[in-house]
Amino acid sequence: MPSDELVVVTNGLTKQFGDFVAVNDFNLEVRGGTVVSLLGPNGAGKTTIVRMLATLIKPTSGTAKVCGHDVVKESDTVRSLLSLTGQFAALEDNLTARENLLLMARLRGYGRGAAERVVENLIERFDIGEFRDKLVKSVSGGQRRRVDLAASLVVQPKVLILDEPTTGLDPRSRQVVWNTIRELVETGVTLFLTTQYLEEADALADYIVLLDHGRTTAAGTANELKARIGDQRVDVIAADLAGMERLVELLSPRFDVTPNPEQRMISIPAPKEVEDLARVSEALTGVGVEIDEIALRRPTLDDAFLAFTGQPANATNSQNDTGLWTPDLEESHS
Amino acid sequence: MSTVSVITHERAPSDYEALPARPGSFLRFLRETWLLVARGLRTIPRVPTRLSDVTIQPIMFTLLFLYIFGSAIHIPGISYKDYLLPGLIGQSLAFGVIGAGVATATDFGSGVIDRFRSLPVTRLSVISSQVVGQVVEQVLGIAIVAGLGLALGWRPDHNLATVLTLVGLILLGLFAFTWFGVLMGMLLKTPDAVQGIGFAIMLPLSFLAGTFVSISTLPSWLRPIAQWDPLSPFVASMRHVAQGYNATGPWPLTHPVVAMCGWCVVIMAICVPLALKRFATTAAAS
Repeated sequence: MPSDELVVVTNGLTKQFGDFVAVNDFNLEVRGGTVVSLLGPNGAGKTTIVRMLATLIKPTSGTAKVCGHDVVKESDTVRSLLSLTGQFAALEDNLTARENLLLMARLRGYGRGAAERVVENLIERFDIGEFRDKLVKSVSGGQRRRVDLAASLVVQPKVLILDEPTTGLDPRSRQVVWNTIRELVETGVTLFLTTQYLEEADALADYIVLLDHGRTTAAGTANELKARIGDQRVDVIAADLAGMERLVELLSPRFDVTPNPEQRMISIPAPKEVEDLARVSEALTGVGVEIDEIALRRPTLDDAFLAFTGQPANATNSQNDTGLWTPDLEESHS
Repeated sequence: MSTVSVITHERAPSDYEALPARPGSFLRFLRETWLLVARGLRTIPRVPTRLSDVTIQPIMFTLLFLYIFGSAIHIPGISYKDYLLPGLIGQSLAFGVIGAGVATATDFGSGVIDRFRSLPVTRLSVISSQVVGQVVEQVLGIAIVAGLGLALGWRPDHNLATVLTLVGLILLGLFAFTWFGVLMGMLLKTPDAVQGIGFAIMLPLSFLAGTFVSISTLPSWLRPIAQWDPLSPFVASMRHVAQGYNATGPWPLTHPVVAMCGWCVVIMAICVPLALKRFATTAAAS
């Protein structure tokens, strides 16, 4: 339920660490009740933006306001309006899940009794009951994330910031976190989400900002961006290089084939998605080339950066991005 | 692919209670410091190494020095037990610096501190709770050393004034030295680095402070270092107050209580502003 209130406004927000410009002239307006996602590889500046909004570091120049309050001049007010869930589930390992939540509730200002009631609600809402009295260091990554999210919601914040909420989670835990996030959105909270996964931004965000090297590369709704990134593709991986070359020969007359010898893969645009997949597999039937894998693939973060900047995202991390991204993409859409 | 998936859910948006009115900033500071100190203390029994740092280790040192060196070392005019115990208290203080540093580095590395800093709590309470929590932990360690010493035959003056003076001096020393430990934890960032560098600094200082043998018996080139070791007046003032035993040497050793208080003021004058500054900008680069 979007409102007209501008909940987050940044103007020329810039952060430098020495000579390194981590965030460069970042401008954004977020309306109440919407979900905005900062999407980019490691080192794109996502966390730096989050840390400036959460008043953990000061901008070098430019301004950021939360509900009209400046993050530098009125930092205490800003802190009472937002909740941050950082990248590494920031909980006290040697307290139990419940003790962590109680501490957060007390620090937010609740008295003992009220804190206990709030925490009981959260334990139920986030399905923490089963491990409520276990030390946080001994629960699973997904469970930890749930406690972490609950800890950010001991009060109803105006803005909830989630910094890479699913990085490092297995696909199933990721789905659980996604569902939780969707429920939160329905309660009307404004969500500021950072992620390395195109699919995550796509699934959750109303508005996506693509970041690279501290700069906004592109911004828009998921559909707007996808229209610019391009179609899905059919990827075919041959068992060996000779097989791949044979595939190029065979398919080139009928399809727009892009070979990728390093991965023994050919890639074909699939604007009609499954229909195109069927056409390609039909063309491969009985040609006698051994195929390792054939898959319909959605555009990855790399494809997005390729489309907008002409070069892949931060080269060292992009491998990792696609590696993490592709498998659970199959799962969540099958 | 849908843009925003809308799922139905049975759970109502949670029913939050209204937060009570925020008290004045000083009361908030006290309340938040207490909550954060309680958090730290609650974890002590759950971390075996920390528990042993403040219990087993001081017990071991007390027994080892008392029975291994105790029979070999003779200090004129005082029983070795009475000489040793104030020294051991000084050594606990020194090792406490490392403990405070390690705990601080661990906290800062885990992101927990950032979460506290993102809450509407007074920032000073986050760092003061670190200091107070560490002081309480070290008090526990020193109480164990002192209790064991008493059980084994340490005989300090025990009129009320003496006891209160001792407790006051120990708390002052702990407070000042813990600030140094917290600063070290913030600067060195990793617990391993604090452990390594902390020992390299504190171990020699703790042995040089007239802890186990008199400074006057040290080789002449080493003596000045020991005499100006910030721990020396602390140990000397413990002996002075607890046993009425006076060290000989330069001014800091013959006026140990004043010298010790002076050192504490100097340490805090340097470490507190640096720690606060470091805290305000901490993790900025990570």
